[in-house]
Amino acid sequence: MKMGMVIDLEKCIGCRSCMVACKQHNAQPPNTWWNRVFTPGSHRHLTPPAKGVEYFLPVHCQHCENAPCEKVCPVGATYHAEDGAVLIDFERCIGCRYCMSACPYGVRQFNWEDPETAHQRAGYQEDYRFGYPEDHRHHGRLVYTPLRPKGVVEKCTFCAQYRDRGELPACVRGCPGKARFVGNLDDPDSEVSLMVKNRSGFSLLPEKGTKPTVFYLPPKVKEV
Amino acid sequence: MSTPMKVALWISGSLFLVACAAWIYQLREGLILTNLQNSYSWGLYISGLAFFVGNAAGGLVLTSSIYLFGVKKLKPLAKLGALTAFANVTAAMLIVLPDIGKPFRLYQMLLHPNLMSPLIWDVVVLNLYALASALYLYILLLPDLTGRLARFAIPVDDPHAFSEKWAKRIAPPALLFAIGIHVVTAWIFSTQGGRDWWHSPAMAPDFVSVAIAVGTTVVLLAGVLAYGTGERYQDAYRTLGLVIFIATCIHLFLMMNDLVIHAWYGGAETTSIMAVAWGDFAWAHILEVVAPLLGAVLLLREGVRRSLAAVSLASALIIGGVFIHRFLLMPAAYNVVPMSLSPLGLPGHHWSLPIASGRFFPDLSTFVEHYSYAPSLVEIVILLGIVAYAVFLVLLAVSRLPILQREGT
Repeated sequence: MKMGMVIDLEKCIGCRSCMVACKQHNAQPPNTWWNRVFTPGSHRHLTPPAKGVEYFLPVHCQHCENAPCEKVCPVGATYHAEDGAVLIDFERCIGCRYCMSACPYGVRQFNWEDPETAHQRAGYQEDYRFGYPEDHRHHGRLVYTPLRPKGVVEKCTFCAQYRDRGELPACVRGCPGKARFVGNLDDPDSEVSLMVKNRSGFSLLPEKGTKPTVFYLPPKVKEV
Repeated sequence: MSTPMKVALWISGSLFLVACAAWIYQLREGLILTNLQNSYSWGLYISGLAFFVGNAAGGLVLTSSIYLFGVKKLKPLAKLGALTAFANVTAAMLIVLPDIGKPFRLYQMLLHPNLMSPLIWDVVVLNLYALASALYLYILLLPDLTGRLARFAIPVDDPHAFSEKWAKRIAPPALLFAIGIHVVTAWIFSTQGGRDWWHSPAMAPDFVSVAIAVGTTVVLLAGVLAYGTGERYQDAYRTLGLVIFIATCIHLFLMMNDLVIHAWYGGAETTSIMAVAWGDFAWAHILEVVAPLLGAVLLLREGVRRSLAAVSLASALIIGGVFIHRFLLMPAAYNVVPMSLSPLGLPGHHWSLPIASGRFFPDLSTFVEHYSYAPSLVEIVILLGIVAYAVFLVLLAVSRLPILQREGT
């Protein structure tokens, strides 16, 4: 089983619901966003670039097969789960941030301070907490905790806490345009494999040789 | 102990303690006390690693000159070489600690080392080199461990012959580790395919050449400060000056070679790298080239080598220029967000996907596509403290151990 995600850019309306769902469900500290949606070519989201077409690009961890972050991690805190997802063990990460530097997609985020302090600094209402409330262990390794330890790196887990009980990632469930699909890339007849094959699925920065398992379907040309 | 020595020990020792206090403060508050953020994740501390690793090359130059190329006139400086090497390689390891988010978990490197990670290789070679330098220094000191130091001497029949024999034996592996620390530290950067500024095969050879230039300068400066500029060691200083000049030229060649290739091809990444390198940091770039070159040229002149002030100035130019060079490792790699693409329908246009900064800046958007980094006070204090540590260690050893050659020996 090699899990993969397909994002249909034709269906993406740029609403950033997936960003919010991801942020909320995964209890991301202030100023930390695992998932980001922007308008390529434009400096302002939801504004067409001066030339070219307007479309929206959601980017989070690409769960690469040849993941530089995993290779550089000195302690093996970043590792591949059996289904191909790249996870971080919060109890082993030493916070050297080598992986953040090595990731060509810039998806990795560091806990520069205690999340409680960060909440205060950002002016969050006192006692306002959000996110999946319990620790989650994947084969014994802590891959999700609502209050992150200060000094560790975090990123998209494909919502390990939900997938481990058979549910879909929050971004997939929260997408109003139904633009996101998860499936088995090893199976040539799976929905995701067929989408990639029939609709010219592409991956980001293929020239870096990272072999992402997140694929994008190109949008049709729209009127601007 | 002389009064200036005491004062120097007090100042450097206190500075180191201040840095320790700053680190403890940073341990409590987190790396929020640095000016780093998600898109600019390494700064002054990691530049410091590259800087100290380079400074540690003095041992390498002296050992190889004396025991592989038979340059006997450098022998009186061998102990200083091993000592500065040890001080700087341990400083290199120390300066990494404040960069680590969870330093108390470093034991995980022993429990679960990922053998693919160049960082693990670096930890291994840095430790081996520190060990080899310490051992080498001890072997060289052995014949002089007399009087109150005699209890530290291992009992051997002929300490002089023993020292000579084992110094020769340790030299080859020590050399291997010595070259290893520069090559592997360079690989930490140059293996990162996502950062075009670093992803160059010229980086490892360049690290070796910078190291030979600046490491030798450290030994020369230490030698001149310890022995003065009298006739006795002028021959040795001349050789060191020549080594420094050649290594500086090779370094500048490798650097320019890289820049020319980047600039000639003129890809989108190159353009943004060059905009950072020659835009915001143009003056720093001019300095990183001109200062070491000027210093190296000055050291070629006999008049300069006979003046303590002139040698100090020339050394400061080289060491300072190399420090700027190390600092400039980061901006062109991090000022530009690596995730960039040509938007569909806009071929030829280069667009970077903003990154969440990970920390709250009152007057900055959460998402950044460009960030100008300047180290925070805590970062500067800690770096200066580690420099002070290296100085303190060298001074203490020189004042307490028979590091310096006595007249007539």
